[in-house]
Amino acid sequence: MNQQPSADSGKIIDPRLPVPLQIDRSWFDDLSGRLDKGGPWGDYRLAQLAVEGEKSRLVTSFEELQCLKHLGGLSPLPHQTDTARRVLFEMSGRAILADEVGLGKTIEAGLILKEYIVRGLVSKVLILVPASLVLQWVRELNSKFGIPAVAQKKAYSWGNDIVVASMDTAKRDPHQELLLNQEYDMLIIDEAHKLKNKKTSNYQFIQKLRKKYCLLLTATPVQNDLSELFNLITLLKPGQLGGQGQFAANFVVDKRRPKNQDQLKDELSKVMIRNRRGEGEVKFTKRSVRNVGLSLSPEEQSLYDGVTSFVKDQYQAAGGNLSSMLSLVTLQREVCSSRDAVFVTLVNLSKKLPEDSPLRDKIWELVYLIKAIKANTKAEKAIELIQQMNEKVIVFTEYRATQEYLLNYFRDHGLISVPYRGGMNRGKKDWMMDLFRGKAQVMIATEAGGEGINLQFCHHMINFDLPWNPMRVEQRIGRVHRLGQTNDVKIYNLSTSGTIEEHILNLLHEKINMFEMVIGGLDVILERFEKKESIEKSLYKIMLESGNDDEIRQRISTLGDSIHHIKQDIELESTAEETLREEEA
Amino acid sequence: MTMTPQEVQQHFMAYLEATECTVIEKSPEHVTVKLSPQADKMLTNRPYYWGFVERTGAPAETLSFNFVFDPEKYDERLAKAEEAKAKTQLNAPVQDPLLARYYGNAPVLPILGPGRIQRENIGYGSSRLAQIWNASREEGKCVYLFQQRDSEPRPRGRSTPYEQWLGVCFKVEFSCDLKREELFFLGISLSSRAITEDFPAILHGRELTPRLPESVHVRPAALTLEQAVAALENHLINKLSKLDYDWAAKAKERLEDELMVIDGYYEDLLKEQDEEKKAQIEEQYKNRRSEMQWQYEPKVSLSAITCGLFHLCSPAGASS
Repeated sequence: MNQQPSADSGKIIDPRLPVPLQIDRSWFDDLSGRLDKGGPWGDYRLAQLAVEGEKSRLVTSFEELQCLKHLGGLSPLPHQTDTARRVLFEMSGRAILADEVGLGKTIEAGLILKEYIVRGLVSKVLILVPASLVLQWVRELNSKFGIPAVAQKKAYSWGNDIVVASMDTAKRDPHQELLLNQEYDMLIIDEAHKLKNKKTSNYQFIQKLRKKYCLLLTATPVQNDLSELFNLITLLKPGQLGGQGQFAANFVVDKRRPKNQDQLKDELSKVMIRNRRGEGEVKFTKRSVRNVGLSLSPEEQSLYDGVTSFVKDQYQAAGGNLSSMLSLVTLQREVCSSRDAVFVTLVNLSKKLPEDSPLRDKIWELVYLIKAIKANTKAEKAIELIQQMNEKVIVFTEYRATQEYLLNYFRDHGLISVPYRGGMNRGKKDWMMDLFRGKAQVMIATEAGGEGINLQFCHHMINFDLPWNPMRVEQRIGRVHRLGQTNDVKIYNLSTSGTIEEHILNLLHEKINMFEMVIGGLDVILERFEKKESIEKSLYKIMLESGNDDEIRQRISTLGDSIHHIKQDIELESTAEETLREEEA
Repeated sequence: MTMTPQEVQQHFMAYLEATECTVIEKSPEHVTVKLSPQADKMLTNRPYYWGFVERTGAPAETLSFNFVFDPEKYDERLAKAEEAKAKTQLNAPVQDPLLARYYGNAPVLPILGPGRIQRENIGYGSSRLAQIWNASREEGKCVYLFQQRDSEPRPRGRSTPYEQWLGVCFKVEFSCDLKREELFFLGISLSSRAITEDFPAILHGRELTPRLPESVHVRPAALTLEQAVAALENHLINKLSKLDYDWAAKAKERLEDELMVIDGYYEDLLKEQDEEKKAQIEEQYKNRRSEMQWQYEPKVSLSAITCGLFHLCSPAGASS
């Protein structure tokens, strides 16, 4: 078999053949052993079956994708099989898969891996991914590809043939040592852009690993600097772009702009494949967004005002200390969601206070305001929308309490809904998914990130309230607006006027234009923006520090502008990056 | 080459029959089967259970499976049966005889434990099919067989001469960074030294049995087994030498190119003054080069899928 380079034993040079020959004669030892002992002998029918089976599995051609016929349940998209073919037959199994987000890099990697396994060229595999994705990878490889991958849990897990682990675990002792003593037929690294800096321990660790084939997966091969790309390629094929000095001289004008674009493009296409949305067969349906403006009922409004002044007072009393105030701003946001959410937070808050704190009274005043609220404006609107749609809908909220409230509220109004949250175990999540696919019309989810929620069968989405982190908004949308979605996706944002919610929606919708933006660019924009401060934190600051609504509006507008500038910058650079990313002229 | 559901089913049935499994029910779309101990040991991955049975002498309870080869049709048929059952139940509370046969008249509850029959859809890519082939190879890799005599009575006292053949199904793998495989099923007569490149053709039409028939004698061998093996390998290598090795030349070219690129990259780096750093770089350089050789170097490997000694009525009629 085709194993490690050191396994040269038994290789002979026969003058008749132009290549070394390896003969496995263990069958003959077996035969003579049985002759000596007078048996036991095998069953002829089984022998025939073994030959038939071998015939049907035989890899009869050097260049033909064999794995597809082994993958009954999977029908990869054309760009995915094309990519697999190119990596296998043109790039000899060392490549950067740099498709834009959501085009199925994992599928491509799975196809390539499966093909090598079917051909018997790969048996020992190491897959390094962010910790949060380990189980997802294992599941996908098992269920979609029938590849017996296991998640690394204990040191002995490394003994398995195909191991998925997190980079952070792998590079730690005692694991690092074990891995460096291995030889891997294939190494796959997801989110490989994290290896852009060659001074990091991650980078140096990967450089020491011994591997035959290697796939690096990243949606953003170039984020800031061309030398990052150079470092990535050096892991894969050192010298492909010349030495560091040559690369700088030949291809770099300044760190974000390449020169000799055609030549660079040419060199890159030998090691990198980047499929983009809207190209060829990969088409996404449209997103349509409707902002549903609502006014709070007088009771809700008085609670909101009460909470707002409470928060302001506390902020001033705390002398502008931001970190202790986060939960208070959350209160304001919760009022916009449901009274239940505010209530839970208030109760928790008062529990933490000493018995005689004067704050307790203030909190109880707010609780009385809550009691006065009889109806939830948003929930009423939501049910109206859902009944109009009369199709599957996913409702997202930030708060557990709101989720519980809505479950009850919908049930009372004859709507079947199921919950979904991060804390559920895998089995329960799957069960909820099945229910939603089946008889439940509505799913109420508090979690959008993570794995497993792929809702192509649903194209209505209600944002009952909005996260302040645009990435999370994007994740929500990404659950329904993904490959395989055949309908246009309809997004409804519920927002209450005269509250902070209105400002946030204004920022996300008007300034960042994120509901209609093509997915993918957002992470790059945010990464640059958040070099200074996280967007959430900036928002909290604005909310707390501003004296009045106009000031909030103005400061949010400034924030929006600076994001907009970054976006424009990136678009400008894209002429440069275009070169790097596009394969076809 | 892929297989139709019918072919997959044929392979499955052949295995189940050879391992003496008990077929409970069978249709063109499925088979329900209680495994034999032999098959259970090979297929169900329960070494601890079998260890327990062997040590304690407890009666072995093998697993049962419902292998479905054409899920669509099978489900259709099940649904129809269900419908028909519902209809008949309107008239008289008679259970579907098919289901009643193993569920009895009790309400159909999911059965857990040994009595449970697990359904499994089997297609060409199923790991179960691969498992069956691997099990077959394991248990059928070495055979010792005699040709069954014609049923017509032979004159008494006259023994029939049998010729001993060594038959081997070789698998040849041509690999570099890519790979191709070929099977060669060769046979050699130990008495006449004749070699055939299509041994299955010689076996075709003969009935084989593991038991030595009466009044038969085996012709003396002119070759030892070792000599026969050497002759087969020699023949095969001769045959291989006539193949096209363009793929290997190309792989070598690719290897040279890759090595050049690496050499170019490390040339400057290796001028490093600091001894410690230099040693590190050298090690890296060596690693990268050996990885390339590992990845691209062309080679041919020879192994055997099955082999065996076959005693056949002469003349065997080896043509080549």
